Amino acid sequence: MHPKLKKREREVEMRLSRAGVPLRRYILSMTIALALSGCIAEKPWHVEEVTGHLPDLNFSLTSDHGSTVTASTYEGYLLLMYFGFTRCTAECPVSMARLAHVMRLLGDDANRARILFVTLDPRRDTPQILHRYVTQFDSEHAVGLTGTIADIERLTKQYRAAYRPRSRIDEAGDIEHGDAVYIFDTKGQARLLATSSDSDESLAKDLQRLIKTNY
Amino acid sequence: MDMLYWFTPWEESALVAVVAGTAAILFLRGCGRSHPRLQQKLYFWTGLILLYLVSHTQFDYYAEHQFFIHRLQHLVLHHLGPFLIILSSPWSTLLAGMPHPGRQLCAQIAEWKPLLYLDRVLCKPIIAVTLFSALIGFWLLPSVHFTAMIDWRLYRLMNWSMFINGLMFWGIVLHQRPILSVRLTPGSRIAMMLAVIPPQIVLGALIFFATREIYPIYTICGRAIGGVSAIADQQIGGIILWIHGAMMSAIGILIVARNELMPGKAREQEQPG
Repeated sequence: MHPKLKKREREVEMRLSRAGVPLRRYILSMTIALALSGCIAEKPWHVEEVTGHLPDLNFSLTSDHGSTVTASTYEGYLLLMYFGFTRCTAECPVSMARLAHVMRLLGDDANRARILFVTLDPRRDTPQILHRYVTQFDSEHAVGLTGTIADIERLTKQYRAAYRPRSRIDEAGDIEHGDAVYIFDTKGQARLLATSSDSDESLAKDLQRLIKTNY
Repeated sequence: MDMLYWFTPWEESALVAVVAGTAAILFLRGCGRSHPRLQQKLYFWTGLILLYLVSHTQFDYYAEHQFFIHRLQHLVLHHLGPFLIILSSPWSTLLAGMPHPGRQLCAQIAEWKPLLYLDRVLCKPIIAVTLFSALIGFWLLPSVHFTAMIDWRLYRLMNWSMFINGLMFWGIVLHQRPILSVRLTPGSRIAMMLAVIPPQIVLGALIFFATREIYPIYTICGRAIGGVSAIADQQIGGIILWIHGAMMSAIGILIVARNELMPGKAREQEQPG
């Protein structure tokens, strides 16, 4: 070691010793504290945590304004991604109304969040139709996304969302899909998986916690 | 064109393709040299094709998104597929299909001490039965199942572990000749097959009689087949585990008993040509 550095280390040690904490013991106690903090489990989330189990957000789609957007467009925002289609009469309107309510519960924090409504029926859901649909629920924070069937299939496959574009969409007009809300942090990392069984309040609490720890 | 689409993999896995391809090539080459019986060929190809179809085609999409199809997939991976492959006694044919260095390597590995030790441990009836039953139970624990169905790495680990464990268990109980250095009596092999029945019945019944959804992941991510409710899906899955899983043991027991009652015929089957 460089003699100057060695001298500096000795000075630090002496200063710490003077404070009544010998350096060795100081390091030891810090190590134990760190080890313990790793052992004590973090407070669980209200909704399902999926950190590390689902891939980071990665897509290139068309927004309801007609422009091409990618995951990096929304970097810095907390994202709530939902797969649905505008002609859906069951789960989608309920889930979208719910997400809009959660946004209201977030108050000012909602400005740091975006709802991404990804259509499963890109043949019918043009950007204009999507724009009209998402603004009905939340004109400020909701974004409608569409693309080619292949693009959407790739995205649903990544997140294990059921989607069979080859099945009889056209005849029945109904698409089998889940009710998951995939929640990504500001860096695009998948963190939580909310469902219709989670209450709006607990979802809002988790989102607030994520916003606080993420900035 | 559309028919071919069904045979394309839903999620490509190089490992599945390489293992299935290697097994098929070795067996084909071996058939030319060791001339196995028609019955053996039939068992081997049915087993291998079934295993490939459930794990590397569009079937996999349905297994990911419908609980009862997932149970069917595991019935093939853990029971039917390995069962048929073991029944075909493919080892001598596969060995004959290998190039000379490969055969030498296999002979060396078969004498490797740690492997012989592991063989003695894994062939202990209690351990083999516990591993077989516990593995089914482990992947069906609600929280484990949830994570395995969303994380593709865990999903693959689950399917591979089921297949390898199936191969081990059926290999121990159906194989007549000693496995490396361990020889089990027909009685203990029959007892092992009987012992794995109750755990499967209990697990299947627990799932069948559950009044609430134990595996919500299929509702969360969406079901592949419309019109089947969550509880109905769960009940069909429970029935598959309950009856069909235990059924394989019954067939296995009949096969072992027949081989004991008709030793001549069994020997003829084991050593063809």
